[in-house]
Amino acid sequence: MVMKIETLIRHIKEAYRGIQRNVAMSFASISAVAVTLFVFGIFLIVAFNMRFISNELEKQVAITASIEEGTSEAQVQQLLQNIQADPMQKFAEYVPKEEGLKQMKEQWGDTDFIQDLSEDGSNPLPDVIRVQPKKSDDIEKLAQKIEKLPNIESVDYGEGVTERLLNFSGWVRNLVFLFGLILAVVASFLISNTIKLTIHNRQREIEVMRLVGASNWFIRWPFFFEGAFIGIVGSIFPILFCLLMYQAALSVLNDGATFGVFKLMPMLSLSLYVAGSTLLLGIIIGVLGSIISVRRFLKI
Amino acid sequence: MIEMHDVWKVYPNGVEALRGIDVRIDQGEFVYIVGPSGAGKSSFIKLMYREEKPTHGVVLINGVNVKRVRDWKIPHVRRKIGVVFQDYKLLPKMTAYENVAFAMEAVEAPKRRIKPRVEEVLELVGLLDRKNAYPSQLSGGEQQRVSIARAIVNNPTFIIADEPTGNLDPENSWDIMYLLEEINKRGTTVVMATHNKEIVNTLRQRVIAIEQGVIVRDELGGEYGYED
Repeated sequence: MVMKIETLIRHIKEAYRGIQRNVAMSFASISAVAVTLFVFGIFLIVAFNMRFISNELEKQVAITASIEEGTSEAQVQQLLQNIQADPMQKFAEYVPKEEGLKQMKEQWGDTDFIQDLSEDGSNPLPDVIRVQPKKSDDIEKLAQKIEKLPNIESVDYGEGVTERLLNFSGWVRNLVFLFGLILAVVASFLISNTIKLTIHNRQREIEVMRLVGASNWFIRWPFFFEGAFIGIVGSIFPILFCLLMYQAALSVLNDGATFGVFKLMPMLSLSLYVAGSTLLLGIIIGVLGSIISVRRFLKI
Repeated sequence: MIEMHDVWKVYPNGVEALRGIDVRIDQGEFVYIVGPSGAGKSSFIKLMYREEKPTHGVVLINGVNVKRVRDWKIPHVRRKIGVVFQDYKLLPKMTAYENVAFAMEAVEAPKRRIKPRVEEVLELVGLLDRKNAYPSQLSGGEQQRVSIARAIVNNPTFIIADEPTGNLDPENSWDIMYLLEEINKRGTTVVMATHNKEIVNTLRQRVIAIEQGVIVRDELGGEYGYED
């Protein structure tokens, strides 16, 4: 389907005329698309962050194996080598209790609780070996294996929490998808009604075009552009709104006392994803709406 | 050339508009289609520009079986056919010139060819000096002449006219007829459905009479043959 530049310009002009003639309805459609895309954008932000957080968590997934008190340095080294030989592990390190306390202080701050722990200079923490699995799915198996090794007092791997979070984020993703689909259909329907009005106004024109032998695509293109235009304009405000809101949320969370676990996705990568998908969906909705409405008028 | 072989048109409501039409119209002919209202003239005309498909039988336009043509190719079939209506079907927001040029733009004719060709056909129908007038500023006869200019601008092999003088007074009607005759003399086939007894009986041409969906008469230089 090759189109001449002058034909393309004509189609775009026609699309513009269509919008101009139905300002009120066009405005209504654009608003409907905007609302749809706004909700979609928020869900998108939530979904992206769910994935981001669960990815981050996955990276942090680790087994902490406490070593029995009184185990000799050589035994500990032997133990570490045993664990490092396991094909399921990615990384294993020995963390003596002094180091553990230091890390704890870094993570939680020098709170009273930590102060109390080591008030008298003693250190209640055990020496541990920290192990990261290659695949987070293997964590349970690996933990059980390590538990059976000699000189291991206990293992801890945050049983279930990570799995549940991963499941939850998958579930949210599906829900977002479904919700977005329903909203898109509703918005397409609204756009198709607007374009139907334009077509109605131009029915005689279309009739004449068909009579003199204009191709169906020649008749269709202006409505395509009209739909796409409504979609694009309708996506600008929701994109700006969503991103501004996210920026605000980010700055609030970053300023306040936050837990390190819930680090949100950084602004730049998120805004590209959100703006791109929202704009794309806007165009798809617009074009879909125009296809729905033009089809019936093009009976041969 | 238009050929129809045993053509039936039955509408979904059960009305049999055409019942076994056999006809052949050659290139360069001038044909009147006459008959009472509701006899099937409109269906006959609509089959010829592929507004309707035959329920049964074969319609050949320039040798092409219109029933077999893919939908997206229909526009190309239509480009060989110019259609003129009783109510002109001009676009009210466009001038006479723009209305005619629109037909060329719609078939994506090269821009540089549009202006000379539009002026040429407006000259032919005698309206070049009125080219910037809107339809509302033109008389009925002038509007019909613009619509004829639009019908011939893409050089069709056929002109199909559905009661082109139906809304016009006798004087304007004759202007239209002389114009169609002139176009016919240049080689374009003209098929015209009409109720105008005076025209058919004066400007003698081939007459095809349709009654109750059947061709009851087909004669060269025939008469109108009805009282009204």
